[in-house]
Amino acid sequence: MSITLDQVTKHYGGAPVVNDVSLEIGDGEFFVLLGPSGSGKSTLLRAIAGLSGVDHGRIALHGRDVTHIAARKRGVGLVFQNYALFDHMTVADNIEFALRVRHVRARARRQRRQELLRLVALEGMDHRLPAQLSGGQQQRVAVARALAHQPEVLLLDEPFGALDAKIREELRRTIRQVQRELGITTVLVTHDQDEAFAMADRIGIMNLGRLLEVGAPHDLYVRPATRFVATFLGAANLLLARSTPDGIQLGASVVAPAGHVAGAPEHEVVAVVRPEEVELAPTRAALAARYVAEGVIEEVVFTGALERLRVRLTDGAAEPLPAFAEGDANTALQVTRSRHAQRGFEVHAGQAVAIGVRRVHVLSTPLSSFTACAASAPLAEALSRQPLLAELVARMKTRVGMRVEPQLGVPNAACETAAAFVGTTVIAARPEGAQRAEWLLRRGAQDLLILPEQASAPQRVLIHWMGEAARSATLAVSASVLRHVPAEAVYVGIFPGDADSARHPPGMRELLDARSEAQAAHGLEMRTELRFGEATQELSARLADAPAQMLIVGVTDLARFGARFGALLDGGSWPVLIVQRDAA
Amino acid sequence: MSFAKPSVLPGFGLTFGFTTLFLSAIVLLPLAALTLAAASMQWSDFLAVVLSARALGSYRLSFGASLLAASINLVFGSIIAWTLVRYEFPGRKIIDALIDMPFAMPTAVSGIALTTVFAPTGWIGGLLQPLGVQVTYTWLGVTLALTLISMPFAVRTLQPALLEVQGELEEAAETLGARRFYVFRRIILPTVLPALLTGFTLCFARAVGEYGSVIFIAGNLPMKTEITPLLIVIHLEEFDYQGAAALGVVMLAISFVVLLTLNLLQAWRRRRHVRAAH
Repeated sequence: MSITLDQVTKHYGGAPVVNDVSLEIGDGEFFVLLGPSGSGKSTLLRAIAGLSGVDHGRIALHGRDVTHIAARKRGVGLVFQNYALFDHMTVADNIEFALRVRHVRARARRQRRQELLRLVALEGMDHRLPAQLSGGQQQRVAVARALAHQPEVLLLDEPFGALDAKIREELRRTIRQVQRELGITTVLVTHDQDEAFAMADRIGIMNLGRLLEVGAPHDLYVRPATRFVATFLGAANLLLARSTPDGIQLGASVVAPAGHVAGAPEHEVVAVVRPEEVELAPTRAALAARYVAEGVIEEVVFTGALERLRVRLTDGAAEPLPAFAEGDANTALQVTRSRHAQRGFEVHAGQAVAIGVRRVHVLSTPLSSFTACAASAPLAEALSRQPLLAELVARMKTRVGMRVEPQLGVPNAACETAAAFVGTTVIAARPEGAQRAEWLLRRGAQDLLILPEQASAPQRVLIHWMGEAARSATLAVSASVLRHVPAEAVYVGIFPGDADSARHPPGMRELLDARSEAQAAHGLEMRTELRFGEATQELSARLADAPAQMLIVGVTDLARFGARFGALLDGGSWPVLIVQRDAA
Repeated sequence: MSFAKPSVLPGFGLTFGFTTLFLSAIVLLPLAALTLAAASMQWSDFLAVVLSARALGSYRLSFGASLLAASINLVFGSIIAWTLVRYEFPGRKIIDALIDMPFAMPTAVSGIALTTVFAPTGWIGGLLQPLGVQVTYTWLGVTLALTLISMPFAVRTLQPALLEVQGELEEAAETLGARRFYVFRRIILPTVLPALLTGFTLCFARAVGEYGSVIFIAGNLPMKTEITPLLIVIHLEEFDYQGAAALGVVMLAISFVVLLTLNLLQAWRRRRHVRAAH
């Protein structure tokens, strides 16, 4: 491996900017780190270059641990967005800089310089000053300069950011060509997905300091695992669907045979529908793809080869299809159509159409939507606007529904609403958080968020489960939550008794198993902590330790729930997400 | 006017006229008057005044101490400017404001303050005395006073220049394998060199013209710690206006030559820089 990152973490003023990133980049690979600004991608690149230290974790280049080695000894070449050329030196002096530092003889220097200038197509420019070159030419010089000392790794930090579209295109091609010719391992940082698609062998997508997914461009586009990647890499409609024994039900039809686990209850899932996978027809019968819903064309934008449409969903199905397009909460579907499709069926704004879907991809996230549950409609309404919940909803591009249960918390009372619980149910922590939580959990709520009024975005998420049956689900939920908040994940392992009796290897093994499962199955990097004593007591103590913490806890049985969870749910200012799974 | 390039803002004629008038009234005319006053002397009288041993001694001290003070400020002013630009520390704003204090104080006050501290009975002077170092009433005291009053010029010219040196340039150099000192010598220094020269020039010019602070700390021993401006005042007190004017003309000439040299050096550097490009 050329570059190995192991749990690299970097904080600025308490908040993690790079959060537990582990990654391996192969020899000669062109790897693109893609993410919005502030996602930590540049900081990660600077950490690889050695320009900023890391707080935790390890960085190795070609098997050599360089975590504590100075930038100048790492053998990397770095190219900056603003070129960072030495303005008082000629092109030749700029390129030869690294060779002069290494006391290379003048003849060898000149030879290498000419080789590099040919490589970046700037022959004969040796004696110009940077100020006399265009932006594109300056960046070529910067690339040549970064390659002069034959580094093992080339790092490019938004190298095309300051260039206009046409020159950008040209320079992309040059850099890709140079990279292939030299076979040098290259990491490019960008926020531009076109650039990532055009250049990458593999793409790693970062958000909020976490490396969310890594894969070949095509795989990430077709089978994203997370909402963020689905919507950041190209346009996507995120739709709520149901996983049923027959398959994935989206609106009116079962649209995909997706792997529903036999015997598992029906549940809500998040489906990704790319704009180009939507088909429009005048009537349901005229659709070639599976019918989903009726809609009305809201907007038609002609962009040359493609036509972009926004289609508002009307009903169409017995159960209306809750959809949310990228960015806004209304139910307009993004659709793109080729010239061919446009000729087959011409549309205009205001026209009613039947909507079909050719292909859907179901995300593995267990968190689909939220339902604010309270004893009255105004309370539920108020709860749905709680800041932390609102932030989660906005970040997850999902929606929050409402459910009124007048008998909430009254022992032996039945649910007012007959429908099953959908998505994650949310209740206020006060009053009687524990009692209401138990009431809902016993009546079928699986994922339950208990939210104190003043709770805000956590900086640390504690993870624990009581009973192995809840392990996988708890990890999956945790991973999903942590993709949307910039917090560190800590698995709290709690063993009965005092520290002495816990030298038993099974305890440690459980801890390590949990960590590797989180990493392998969900791409979630966790710290681990050991505590000794009674589980809920220890968790309460740990939560009271520091502000801005959240707990995600898996439970399998509800015996003595009130006694066990009273302190945890009634006393604190921390949000608790309970994941209930039956001990099968 | 025909030699004015078209500009977004009109009014070249007005501003140029104002510039000429202002420079003439405030700078050129008094200088001319000074030269005229000296010119009314006999050539031999003139030489006798400006080449007297006392005058020669005062030139050596005035220009020597000024050059020394400017050099000291070049080094320590750079360090102060660097610290203020590059680091964030509590009290930075206060120190930044303190830099300008020598501008605001009457220079006589600076002189008295320095004398108090550096006199053999003062805080620092008392410490230096046992080491055999005498500051007050020596050329050392003169240099000290000149350093203090010209220091803001060095810091204030360097600050903006250092702000412009992007951290990225140093980082680029570092990833290319350069050690810190090499980065300083090859990257930072060349970038701030014009500002350094300007700072040096301003410090020097300010120091040469200084009078108030020096007379308190120098002791004004003829031939030893007597600066040229003081000698001029002495001539004035004896109502020897012509002698004063003669010394003034010499100071003017030397200062002009030094400043012109420094400015030409700057211009030459810039030209060479541009020529390298072709």
